[in-house]
Amino acid sequence: MTVLPSSPVDARAGAEGTRIDLDDVCRYFEVGDTVVKALDGVNLHVDESAFVVVLGASGSGKTTLLNLVGALDAPTSGTIRLAGTDLSTASRAQRTRIRRNTVSFIFQSFNLFPGLTALENVRFGADVAGRADAADVAARVLEQVGLAGRAEHFAHQLSGGEQQRVAIARALATGNPILLADEPTGELDFRTGVAILQLLREQAEAGKTVLVVTHNREISRVADRVIELSSGHLVADGPPAGGRAAIDDLRW
Amino acid sequence: MVTSRGLWVRWSWRDLRGRWVLVTAISLVIALGAGTYAALLSTSAWRRASNDASFALLNTHDVRVRLSQGSTVAEGRLAAVVASIPSAASVLGVRERLVVPTQVSAPHDLLVPGELVGTATGTDAGVDDVWPSAGRLPGPADDGQPVVVLDRQFASANRLPATGEVVMSGGARASYVGLGQQPEYFLSSGGQAALPFLSQRSFAVVYATLATAQALTGAAGQVNDVVLTLRPVDRRDPAQRPVSQELLADQVAAELRSALAGAKPAVSAVVSTRGELPSYRVLYDDIAGDAKLWRIVALLVLAGAAFAALNLTARIVEAQRREIGIGMALGVRPAVLAVRPMLFGTQVALFGVLLGVAVGWLVAIPLKAVLVEMLPLPVWVTPFQVDVYLQASALGFCLPLVAVAWPVWRAVRVQPVEAIRVGHLAARGGGLAPLLRRLPSRGRSYRQIPLRNVLRTPRRTLLTVLGIAAAITTLVTTIGFLDTFNATLDDAQHELLRSAPERLNVSLTAVEPADGDVVRAVRALPETDTVTAGLMLPVTAGRQDRTVDLLVEVLDDAALWTPTIESGTAHGGIVLASKAAADLHVTVGDTIEVTHPQASPEGLQTARTVMTVAGIHPNPMRAFAYLDPATATAFGMSGATNYLTVTPASGTSATQVQRALLSIPAVASAQAVRTTTEGMRTGLDEFIGILQIAALVTLLLALLIAVNTTSIGMDERARDHATMLAFGLPARTIIGLAIAETALVGAAATVVGIAGGYGVLVWMAATTIPAVLPEIGVVATLSTTTVLAAFALGVVTVAAAPLFNIRRLSRMDIPSTLRVME
Repeated sequence: MTVLPSSPVDARAGAEGTRIDLDDVCRYFEVGDTVVKALDGVNLHVDESAFVVVLGASGSGKTTLLNLVGALDAPTSGTIRLAGTDLSTASRAQRTRIRRNTVSFIFQSFNLFPGLTALENVRFGADVAGRADAADVAARVLEQVGLAGRAEHFAHQLSGGEQQRVAIARALATGNPILLADEPTGELDFRTGVAILQLLREQAEAGKTVLVVTHNREISRVADRVIELSSGHLVADGPPAGGRAAIDDLRW
Repeated sequence: MVTSRGLWVRWSWRDLRGRWVLVTAISLVIALGAGTYAALLSTSAWRRASNDASFALLNTHDVRVRLSQGSTVAEGRLAAVVASIPSAASVLGVRERLVVPTQVSAPHDLLVPGELVGTATGTDAGVDDVWPSAGRLPGPADDGQPVVVLDRQFASANRLPATGEVVMSGGARASYVGLGQQPEYFLSSGGQAALPFLSQRSFAVVYATLATAQALTGAAGQVNDVVLTLRPVDRRDPAQRPVSQELLADQVAAELRSALAGAKPAVSAVVSTRGELPSYRVLYDDIAGDAKLWRIVALLVLAGAAFAALNLTARIVEAQRREIGIGMALGVRPAVLAVRPMLFGTQVALFGVLLGVAVGWLVAIPLKAVLVEMLPLPVWVTPFQVDVYLQASALGFCLPLVAVAWPVWRAVRVQPVEAIRVGHLAARGGGLAPLLRRLPSRGRSYRQIPLRNVLRTPRRTLLTVLGIAAAITTLVTTIGFLDTFNATLDDAQHELLRSAPERLNVSLTAVEPADGDVVRAVRALPETDTVTAGLMLPVTAGRQDRTVDLLVEVLDDAALWTPTIESGTAHGGIVLASKAAADLHVTVGDTIEVTHPQASPEGLQTARTVMTVAGIHPNPMRAFAYLDPATATAFGMSGATNYLTVTPASGTSATQVQRALLSIPAVASAQAVRTTTEGMRTGLDEFIGILQIAALVTLLLALLIAVNTTSIGMDERARDHATMLAFGLPARTIIGLAIAETALVGAAATVVGIAGGYGVLVWMAATTIPAVLPEIGVVATLSTTTVLAAFALGVVTVAAAPLFNIRRLSRMDIPSTLRVME
C-alpha cells in the first residue's frame, strides 16, 4: 500500500461551516415525454466533520445529490442549506461564492488543467479561494499528498493515481471545509484507490466533512456514516454495518 | 448491418444537422472564398467582351496619322496620301480630322483643359464614330455651325446636363446638343499632355464636325489628323490567309510613313495603329495586368477561406475521434470508418459551393457597378462565367474534403484503446507548454492558462493562426495597395509642390517665340504675376531594346520650380525620373538615345540625339524629364515656347487666371499644378473601387473566421470552464481568460498576417504593379492606419469574440458538461 503523509490541512470553517441540510429535496429531469425522478423527497442532515459515503447503484441519484450539495444544480423542490445558506433560493453569484469558499470537488476523471503543472493545478484551488499565501499553500499541500517531486510535471506526465492526488490537493488547497468526491477511485487500481481513500479519511479526521459518492460497497466500510440511495430515495442512513473497518482491510 | 450505406448517409446527415450553426459558418466561409474568387476572375471575361463590343460598335480606326503639335495641312491632303499607298484598296473608311487642345468652360463654372475633335462627315463607312449617350449628334444642318457634343464621362463626372453651352479657347462659344463618347477617349489619356491618372472630371473633350471645329478654331480648311479602318482580312482567300488584321495594319502604317516622308513638302507626322491607341492599349493590357492582381487577391481570399474551412472542419472531425476509436474496437475497417466524416465533409463542401454561386452573384453586383463607373464603355457585357465558377467550385469542393481526410487519417492511426479512453482528449501531450515551465509565474495560477493553452496544442493553434492570418494578409494586401498608391501620389504631389505651389501650367496651341505676342499678352494680364516661358515636348528615350515615353520640360535658371536632384546634376544632360532610369537600366553618366521633334525650315521633323543622363529626380511619375537650355538646343527651338508657367497676381485665384487666359486664342489649356495631382488622386479613387469590395469581403471573412474559431475554442475548453465554475471562479473571470487566449492567438495571427500582407505587397510592387502601371514607380507602403486596422481586426475583434459566449457560459449546465466531456 502507498503510504501517504498524515498531516491534513486545517479547515477554515468550524462546525457550522460544514453543516448540510436537505429537507424533502426532489430533483426531476424531463427526458422527452418522461419525467425522471433522480431524487424524490430526500431528507438528510450532516452536522459533523465526518467521512460520509453516499452509496448507490448506477441511476440511484447519488451524483445528483452531490451536485445539489455542491451548488452545481438546484432542486426541483425542497430546501438545501449549506453552511447556513439556503441554496434553493440562492442567486447565481451566491452559489458561485459557496463553491469558492465552502465546497471543493474531486472528480472521477480528475479534470486537471492540461496546460498547468501539478503545482500550478494545486495553486489554482488556493488562488480561486483567494488565499493570500497561495504559493506556499500549494507547495505544502502537494508535499502532503506525496507529489513534491512531481510538482513541475503536467497532467499527461502523471499516472492516474498521481493525477487524482493532484486533484485532491487542488481541492484541499482551497481550504474549504467540505470536500465532495465523485467516484474518486473509479479510474484507479486497487492499491492507488486505497491510498486515495486514506488521504480523504485523514481530511475528515482533521475536521473536514468529506462526502464520497461511490457504487463500491467496500468503500463504505471505512466511512463514519453511510447513506444509501435507491431510485432517488434514501433507503439507509447510519454507520457501516459491522462497524467501521480499517483501510488496510479493504478488498475489491 | 453496421456498414450499410444508408446508415452512414443518415448518420453523417445527423452530424450535419447536429452542428448546423457551425456547418453553415463553414459553408459560408467556403462560399465567400469561392464566390469572391469566381466574381473577381469573371471581370476579365466581362471586360474583354465589353471592349470588343464597344470598339467594334464605333468603328475604331486601324491606323492613324497625327501631325506634329501645332502643324496643320490643307483638308484633303492627308486623305490623298492615304489614297496613294499601295494598300489603298484595303482601306475601308477614311476620316480627316482636326484635333486641337483647348480650354473648355462648361456649366457649373467649370474651366478645364480639353480637346476639340472635329471629324469629317461622309457617306462611307464611319471611323471613330461618336456614340451618343444622351441628346443627339450634330446633323448635316449643323455642319459648320457652333453645335457640338460634350464628352459623356466629363459631363457625368461633373453632373452636367445633356445640353448646354461651352466656351473654348479664344472665346469660341458652342452649344452642346448631346453627350457622347469616341473610342480614343474611352479612357482619358490627358490629351497631348499625356499625363497618367488625369481625371475624366478635369479633362473635357468636345466632339464636332470637321467644318465646325475649323470654324471654332479659325483653322478654315485645315486638318492635322486622319484615321482609317481596313477591310477585314478574308481568311478564305488563299492570298490573304497568312495575313492577320494586325499585320495588315502594320503594313499600311509603314506605307503611310513612307508616303508622308516622300511627300513634297515632307509631312512630319506620327503614324500609329489601333494597338498603340492609349485607350485601346490600356483597356486591353489592363485586363491581363488586373487579372494578375485579382487572381492574387482572389487566391488570398480563397486561401484564407481554405485555412478556415480546414481548421473548422478538422476540429469537428477531431470531436468524433472517440467514436472512430469505438468503431475500430468493433473491428470496422478504417476505410469504412472514414465514410461518415468524408460524407460529412462532402455535404459541407457541396453546401458551401452551392452557397458560393449565390455569394459570387452577390459580389458580382457591386463589381459590375464599379467597372461600369470606372470604365464607362458604350456596351457592357457581363454574362455568368460558367468556367470560372466551375474552377472556383472545384477548389471550394476539394478543400473541405482535404480538411476531413487529414484528421480521419490521424484518428485511425492511434490504437483504439487510446481513442476510446475517457481521459484521452484531456490528458494529451503538453505541446510547447513545458517550455514555459521554468519561467517565473507571477499572479494567480489561472492567469497562466491562456498562454499555456495556446502553446499546449501548437498544431491547432498554428492552424487557427494561419486561418485568421490569411484573412488579415488579404486585407492588408488589398488596403496596402491603396496605401501604396496614395503614398506614391503624395510623393508626386510633394515634389511638384515643393516650390511655387500656386503656379499654373499653361500650354499653347503651337510653338511661339518666347518674346512674342502671345507671351507678352499673358504677361500683360493683370491676373498674372510671374510668367516664365519654357518648352514641353513628348519624346521617346531608348537604350538598347528598351524605350520609355517621356514628357520633357526645358527649365532655365529663372524657372519658378525645379525638380529635386536625387543624384547627379541638373545641367549637362537629361534629368530622368528614377523609375525611367530603372526601366532603361541607366544611371547618372550613362547615355540614352532620345527621339524627339526638331524644328527645321520645313517644319517639325523627328530627330534622334544621344544625351547623357545628368541627374535623377525622385518623382514617381516616370514620364517627367527635364533638360537645361543648353542640352535642349537639340530641339532646334531656342527662343521658342509652347508652355508657360504662371503665378497668379496677389489676391487672384487660379480660376481667375484660367478665365483670363481663355481670352487668348493661342492658349490651349491652363491648369493649376495642384489640380494635376488632385486629378491623379481622383483617378485612383475610381481604380481602387474593386479593391475596396475585395477588402470588404475579406473583412467579412476575417470576422466570420474569428468568431467561429473562437466559438469552437470555447466548445473545446468547455470541460476546463466547467471545472473552473465548479471551483467557484466567476464566469466573467473565465470569459476574461478566454479573451486573453484569443487575444494571444489574434495577436500572433495579426503579426503573421501583416508580415504576409506586406510581403505580398512588396512582391507585387516589384512584379505585378510595374506590369499594370508601368508609368509609375511605386514603393510598397503600409500606412499606420492600415496596420492599426489590421490590429483592430486581428486582436480586438478576435479577442472580443468570446463575449458572444457570456450567456452560454453563465448558464452552463456544469454537471452535464463535466459528464458529457467524460
